[in-house]
Amino acid sequence: MKRIVRLYPSAWRRRYGEELIDLLEEVPATPATTVDLLRGAAVMQFRALVDRVAPRLASAGGPPIPTHALQRHPTATALIAALITAPTIIFVVVSFLAYQVELPGMHAWLQPFMDGLARAPRIVDVFLLGAPFLAFLIAALPLIGLRMERVDGDLRITLAVRARTLNLIVLAVCVLVGGFLASHLLVEFLFERP
Amino acid sequence: MSDRSPGSDPGLLLLISLSGGPKHGHAMLLDVAAFAGLRLGPGTLYGALSRLEEDGLVEPLPLEGRRRPYRLTDSGLAALRGRLTGLNAAVSIGLARVGNR
Repeated sequence: MKRIVRLYPSAWRRRYGEELIDLLEEVPATPATTVDLLRGAAVMQFRALVDRVAPRLASAGGPPIPTHALQRHPTATALIAALITAPTIIFVVVSFLAYQVELPGMHAWLQPFMDGLARAPRIVDVFLLGAPFLAFLIAALPLIGLRMERVDGDLRITLAVRARTLNLIVLAVCVLVGGFLASHLLVEFLFERP
Repeated sequence: MSDRSPGSDPGLLLLISLSGGPKHGHAMLLDVAAFAGLRLGPGTLYGALSRLEEDGLVEPLPLEGRRRPYRLTDSGLAALRGRLTGLNAAVSIGLARVGNR
């Protein structure tokens, strides 16, 4: 069991290692003790990791720390998100004009495409429905920042949110389109299925 | 210290143990087993002990042979008193409600 003590962080071992080894000579060597020591070593390693990493991530009063490389390019991120959800936007807008507004001729023009979509693999449906949600996450990423700091020895994590016009527009469109599509599918599932 | 029950909070158990006087690791294990009926593992004990020392709630005393005793600091005593008072209030309310049923 004394070998397990080597799994503890070296700084911790220098301070408590001998005391712990001394204690191990007085307690029975059971599987429960072994598990307890391993768990203790994992906890101490994690604590040591936090102590090492946290000061590097941020110091008190520092700027929000980007949590993702995309945060440095909010405009490009918003455009990527818009591109991802563009097929869904087109699909929703055209469907709305054809079936809700009932523009003359649009229904007949769209019907072959809708028939093809009905026969298309399920992945197409999943993409059309999932794209707004994926795009929402991508567009939201640059708006969120994490700040980690030590306050009185405790690790404090602060969530910061910033506003970017283009990203907010994409987010709003994603919510509208995703919400419209999801509610439409829900209504269809609940009331229109045989 | 967390706000968990005493049985799941080794830090609180160690503070209670040290409130009876300075003790080394093994003596704390025996004391906790005696008053709480719980057998703390050595990893759990030293994990909690190092955290308490880091928080300034306990402090080490000079070695006695190969063993190092620890004692409660003034902050530790105040923290323990506050925690036990809170628990006592919860226990009193709980017992009163249970008694009314």
